[in-house]
Parts: sequence; C-alpha cells; structure tokens
Amino acid sequence: MWLCAFEPVNLATKPSESPSDSPSESPARIRSQRAALIDDPSLRGVDFSHRYGTVVDSWVGELLGPIEGVAAIAVGSYGRQELCPESDLDILLVHARPREIAPIADRLWYPIWDAGFRLDHSVRTVREALQVADRDVKAMLGLIDARFVAGERKLGAELLLRTRELAHERGRRWIPPLREDVRDRHARAGDVAFLLEPELKDGRGGLRDLTVQRALEAIAPNVECEHSLHGSSSILLSVRVALHRVTGRAIDQLYLEHQDAVASHLGFGDADALMTAVATAAREIAWHLDEAWRAADVWIQRPRRHRSASPKALAPGVELCDGEIDLASDAAVAEQWGLILDVARLSAEYGVPIARGALRRLSEESPDVGDQWSRHERDAFVSLLGAGGSVVAAFETLEQYELMSRVLPEWSAVRGKIQRNAFHRFTVDRHLVETVARAGTMTRSVSRPDLLLVGALLHDIGKGYPGDHTDAGIVVADAIATRMGFDRDDADTIVAMVRHHLLLASIATSRDLRDPGTIESVAEQVENVELLELLHALTEADSLATGDKAWSRWKAELVEDLVRRVTQVFEGRHDRSEVTLDVDADDVILLARAGDADIYVEADDQTVTIVTRDRPMLFCHVVGVLAHLGQSVRGARARCRGALAIDTFDVESPVGRPLDADQFGRELRRAFAGELRLGEELARRANQYERLKRPAAARPADPRVLIDRDPRGIATIVQVRAADRIGLLHAMTTVLAEHGLDIRHAKISTLGHEVVDTFYVVTVDDGHPIDDAVRLHELVLALLHVLPASSGPREPRSLR
Amino acid sequence: MKLVVAVIKPHQVDAVSNALQDIDIAGITLTEVRGHGRQKGHSEVYRGGEYRVDFIPKVRVEVLASDSTAEKVANTIVDAARTGTIGDGKLWITPVDVAVRIRTGELGDEAL
Repeated sequence: MWLCAFEPVNLATKPSESPSDSPSESPARIRSQRAALIDDPSLRGVDFSHRYGTVVDSWVGELLGPIEGVAAIAVGSYGRQELCPESDLDILLVHARPREIAPIADRLWYPIWDAGFRLDHSVRTVREALQVADRDVKAMLGLIDARFVAGERKLGAELLLRTRELAHERGRRWIPPLREDVRDRHARAGDVAFLLEPELKDGRGGLRDLTVQRALEAIAPNVECEHSLHGSSSILLSVRVALHRVTGRAIDQLYLEHQDAVASHLGFGDADALMTAVATAAREIAWHLDEAWRAADVWIQRPRRHRSASPKALAPGVELCDGEIDLASDAAVAEQWGLILDVARLSAEYGVPIARGALRRLSEESPDVGDQWSRHERDAFVSLLGAGGSVVAAFETLEQYELMSRVLPEWSAVRGKIQRNAFHRFTVDRHLVETVARAGTMTRSVSRPDLLLVGALLHDIGKGYPGDHTDAGIVVADAIATRMGFDRDDADTIVAMVRHHLLLASIATSRDLRDPGTIESVAEQVENVELLELLHALTEADSLATGDKAWSRWKAELVEDLVRRVTQVFEGRHDRSEVTLDVDADDVILLARAGDADIYVEADDQTVTIVTRDRPMLFCHVVGVLAHLGQSVRGARARCRGALAIDTFDVESPVGRPLDADQFGRELRRAFAGELRLGEELARRANQYERLKRPAAARPADPRVLIDRDPRGIATIVQVRAADRIGLLHAMTTVLAEHGLDIRHAKISTLGHEVVDTFYVVTVDDGHPIDDAVRLHELVLALLHVLPASSGPREPRSLR
Repeated sequence: MKLVVAVIKPHQVDAVSNALQDIDIAGITLTEVRGHGRQKGHSEVYRGGEYRVDFIPKVRVEVLASDSTAEKVANTIVDAARTGTIGDGKLWITPVDVAVRIRTGELGDEAL
C-alpha cells in the first residue's frame, strides 16, 4: 500500500550514484514524479504505464549505476510496461558476483522501500533464476515478461535468451502445472466478461491470461499470440490504471461503487458503456487463450497420436473426428439451421470441443431459423440445455460466432446486459445460462424437465426489453415457446414460469405460511402440482445462479415449507387425468386391418405400430429390436384388447436411417424365438459410445424411480426419470418382466436427453397392482441398478 | 446505551421495520437465523399431512438505542411482531459499553 504519511528515513550511509540529489532525496523525488504522472489526466492506460515505467527505469538505472556482472530485470507487469499507479515493482537482480552482491542489492532495495513502493524482489544467478522458473510456474510466468532495465546488458540478454531456450526444451513439462494454475485462478476469480464486479487481473479474460498466452507461445511453436489482442489488453490496462487512480489503492476488482468514477475518468458515457467495453475485451482475451490452449494441446499430442481414427457418425451430418465434433463433408449446412444445435449438444454430451472449421461453416452458411421449429430441433435444444455445467461453455462457444443470437434472436437483447445491483453476480445472459446449468441438476424433481430447462433459460429474458421485466418476459417467452413448437398447454406453462418466477421466494420470506389464506392464494395462482414443482426447482436454480447471498438453507426451508403446504392443497383435489388402458376407435379399425396376422406392423418415418398376441416380455422385445435396428424411441403407447397387444412407437434414427418394416418383423420373430441376445448387444453398443466421452462430458443428475398407485386401484404406476442412453428402455422393461410384471400401459417421453417413462403395471400372477412393500422396494433397487448414474459432484451442487 | 435484540418470524420483519421508522429509529440490523424455542422438534399437522420441524427459519433483529429509548424500541418491536401464535419469538436487552460511528468517530448517543 502506498503510504501517504511517509517520512523519509535518513539513508546517508548508503552510497548514491545520483549526481542530482542525495540518497535520502531520491525517494522523495521519485514520489513526486509519480504523483505528477498520476495527477495528469491526459495520461491514460498504456501511455501512463509507459511514462511511469520509463521514470522508474531511469531511477533504477541511477540507483544501480554503471556496473559489471549485475543486471536489474523487470518482471511481471513492470516487465511488460504495464505498471499501474499502485502496482508492485517486481525486480530480479541477476548477477555473476555471488560474494559482492549483498551490498549492491541493498543499494537498490532500500531507496525503493523508502519511496513507499511495494517491492517483489529476488537476487539470483542466471542458473538459479532458470532453475526456479523450471520448478515454479509463477516464477516462470514472471520471466516470460522479463525486460532488461539496468546494469550489464549482456548478462540481461543472456537470461532472456536462455529463458526462451529453456521454454523450448522443457516447456512441455510446464504445461500441466500451468494449466492447473490457470484453472484454479479462474475458479477463484470467475469470468471478467460476465461478473458484475470483475477481477481485471486474475479473472478469466483478465490481464494475467495474456501472460499465459505469451508463455504458451514461448513453449509451443504452433501457438501464435494474436496481435489483434492489443486493443483488448489496452482497454483492460486503461481501466486498471483508472481504478488505481480513482481509489488510490492496489485493487483489481472493479466494484460497483467505483464503476461510475472509472467510467467518467476514461470518458465513457456511463458505467454500462464501460462494463460493456470491459466484457467485450475480456471475451476476446478468454477466447484467444482457449485457442492457444487448443493449439498447445495439439502440439503436445502430435508426436504420440496415432493416425487419426475414422470419423464416427453421431447424428445426420455430425461426426466425432480427432477428438472434436465436426460437420460431415456432406452435411446440409445451408438447409438445416438445426445443425447448430446438434453440433452444440453433442459437444456438451461427449465433452469434446467443436471443430473451428465447423463453427465457421455454420456461421457462414446456416440459413435463418424458421418460424416453427421441428420436434428434432426442439429436442436438440433441450438436450443442450440439459447438459448441466457444460452448457455454460457451449453457449459461450456459440456466442463467439454469434450463433446463439441466430438460434434465438431475442438472445441479443440480453447479451452482455449489465444488471447493476448488489444482489446479482452475473450479466443477464450469463445469469440465464447459469440458471439453466443448475436446473440441469434438478431435472429429476420435476415431471417435465424440458419445460424446466426452457423456463430457466427464459425466466429473465424480459430484462432485455423496456418496462417491467416480468411483463415483458411473458410476451417474449410466449412467442419463443410457440416458435419452438410447444403445444398450447406447454407454452402456457412456460409463460406461467416466467410470470411466477419470483412468487415462491417472495411469499415464503414475507408472508405467514401458517395462514391458510396465503397458501390458498398461491395454490390459486399456481393451479397445479406440475407447475408448483417447476417453480420450486426454478426458484432454487435462479437463486443459486444469482449469487452467494441469494440462496441459503434459511431460504430453502421457507420455500420448502411453502411448497409442502401448497402441495397438500392440490392433493385434496383429484383432478389427475386418468389414463385409459383400453383401445379406442382408431385401434378397432387397426385391429380389423391386422386381421389374424401373427405379427402385424405398420411403419412410416416416425411411427411404428405393431399388433400381435400378448406374450411375456412383449414390450421389452419390441423396444429391444427397435434399439437393435438403430431406432431411438421418443414416445410410446401400449394397450391391450383381449389376447392382443397394440404398441405404438414414435421413433427417430439418430443417424438418419429410416426403419425397414420387413426387417423389423423378421428381427422381432428372432427375438421372440430367443435367437437375439438383445441385452448384451445393446450394452456393448452403449459402451462403444460411452467410451468416446471425455471427462468434461455432461453428467446427468442421479436417476429417480417414483412409485404411485392408480387412483382406481387397477395398476401400480412406476415412473422413471433418467438420462437417455442406447437400450435404456429395453433394460428397464426387462427388469419389469423379470419381476413378474405385465405392462398394461406405457407412456414414454424422451425430452431432449431426458427420459420420463411411466409404466402402468400389474402382476402376471393375478393381474392386480403390487401390494407388497418389500417387492416394490426390490423393484426400485433393480431399476436403479440399470439406470445410468451421475458419476460425481462436478456439477453445481443443489442444496436440496 | 442498550442493544435491543429480537428473534422474530420472517414475515413480521416489514411490520417491525415500519413500526420502528414511525418512532424515528433508523438503524436496524437483520440476520437470517434458524432455531427453536419451546416448539423444539415438534410435529406439525397441516391439512392431514404430518411433518417434523427441527429448526425454524427466523430473523434476528438488532437495534442500538439510548438508555432512554430502549424500552420504547422494545415495546414497539414486541407489538409489531406479535401474532399471538406459538413461535412469535423473543426479545432481550443488553447493556452496551461503547458505540462509535465509524465514519466520523462520534461516540455514545452521538453515534446513533
């Protein structure tokens, strides 16, 4: 800290090289020179740093004097001529005179201390300096920016040259600790572009990231620092200089209270304009650092990489190639804007980056998004939103190519939008994506994960529009939900989520929850338990994404209490739509068409209907064969008439291969005859895809199995909420069959990557629901055993 | 100088804060707390459903008052926070040795 009330210490015993003033005067002189520079408002950013650096350089030169075998090297921000008014002076005294160096060093350090600088100093031989850099990544980063200031020029040049050589020779070993250091720093300081009070130096996209890029450039021959970054780096530097000036303190976090002063100092119209400029600069720096890492990774892997494996098709037009999601050469980019979503969701799902060429192609060739999304496009979008923590990176990548704003034009209204209050941590767009990321861990607590995720994304969309943000949001969300192809009821639910997104939190903390009037009024507004569940999850996700202060056990308990009381109101009503287990008029006509065929199949691109004699494990064999033929079941309906079973499936081929009805019939006969080992084959295929996933892959929330009894007492209802994978439906229905259960009715919903499957089952023995609690418990355990579990707490954790 | 501390129901906070403003008390500190008094570990029946409550969310209110106004402050809080049902909370008053307004360095009643 700069000491204002500093009294110069008498240093008359120290030698001085300066002809112009006595040793005790030189610190005073440098202080007044520094003060004059700080007081000169025309000196901003780079200009200030250069002038200030030059003044300090010549003073250090005076203090050291002409000398052999010693060199003063500026490192850190001083080294790269980015000194801010309150910066530390970071000086390395490199020498070849071990016995005489102590008094020489004192000659330098004491006046610097006396002048009130915070000094980060070290005294080393060239060899020692290199050894330290080789061991300690922070020292290495300091040396990357090293600059000769005074003393013996040849010695300084030797250190700089040998640092470069060392980086070439041993740099490969520095990469893992460097990566860890950067990751820790980013985790601690957050994103400069999206935090409302960003950390200009340590944050992601901050000034230190530029040093890391230079380090990577020194290490890996294929990394090149972007010269276009000068603009961005000089913006951040100007802001940091101004912040030090305005506060008189060595702080690097741009707090709300200082933003107005810094903005006016730098001539920005207002603080919002300042913060937008900071965010734009930081985004660019962060993006280029990511690029530098990618290049460095390629360089590291190249020597041991085998000849690239053949691309693996993951969806029509999209393939996994060399550890990247890429577009197939024949992908219909110009016809299908939905490829943007496919590429993004697969990148999140497999935890691998999107090839840059693919992003460029999408950005150049993608057509406009239509007025009406297809089911496939909506599913892809929901899958992307459901990727948990990975969704943040995915959105950022898309935004670099302005693809998100193309998919959702309304997104540009909230992009980088500042919200200036002490409650929020993030800009509006990032807050929405963070809310989605947290909602992605709560998908199992609601019966409509797709609505939760879309509602989470849109809940504050109105903040990009004039007027009250909820009122504006209702209109915008309605238009978006309709365009996405949600039916009227679902669109209304999304709109209700936007309308009531603050309801539970505000009622829970400000109203008497024991007052039946409070509870009734919430029940009246929320209308049904499905919306209540959605609002409960949204409230928690929204609060967690807002900031540390917005969610606590205290608030969680109040909200839970409210939800419990409102749920009880709903449970008093029996308005649950009842499922009919019988056939309808269309089915009767279908049965007539089927005649007495052993296995009757009708199929088009999206629907398969099968009529056959009911038999043990029928449903399970049918879904198994569908999966075996590469079809993914998006929805299903099963019902019976006498001894006949009718099953209808909505299917989709992930790789765009339509179902061949004849082949389906043949394979089904083989399955009935026990000639197909479906379980093993599907598990092997699922594993093949699982193996392609990287540690960064989206991790699903833990699966849930819910048991209920049909109100009429005619069946046990088993609901499974889990992440989708190949053969999942076959595995679950096998468990049901093995537990002696007959599926009377099934409702299969695949919502993006989320599965919500409901089975109405009765026991094979007597055709009744299961009464035995032990048997139910065993069934739940057996189902959980075959469901893909989340493998760790890497996602943002829920407090629940 | 006294410190008046009360633990009250969250939904009574607005009532208490308004009542204090009416008697010209400007400074108030609120903390979200959890705890229980005599209702410890009770089971609550609501619309036929029963559930257990261990710690209940409350708000802790702190007001610094001069010796002469402390009682009035206390009465105001008690009146505003009372609903007459169990769990309305507690209030207590403790002596304060020193109070300083940090900005100016004023001491004692001047600091209020």
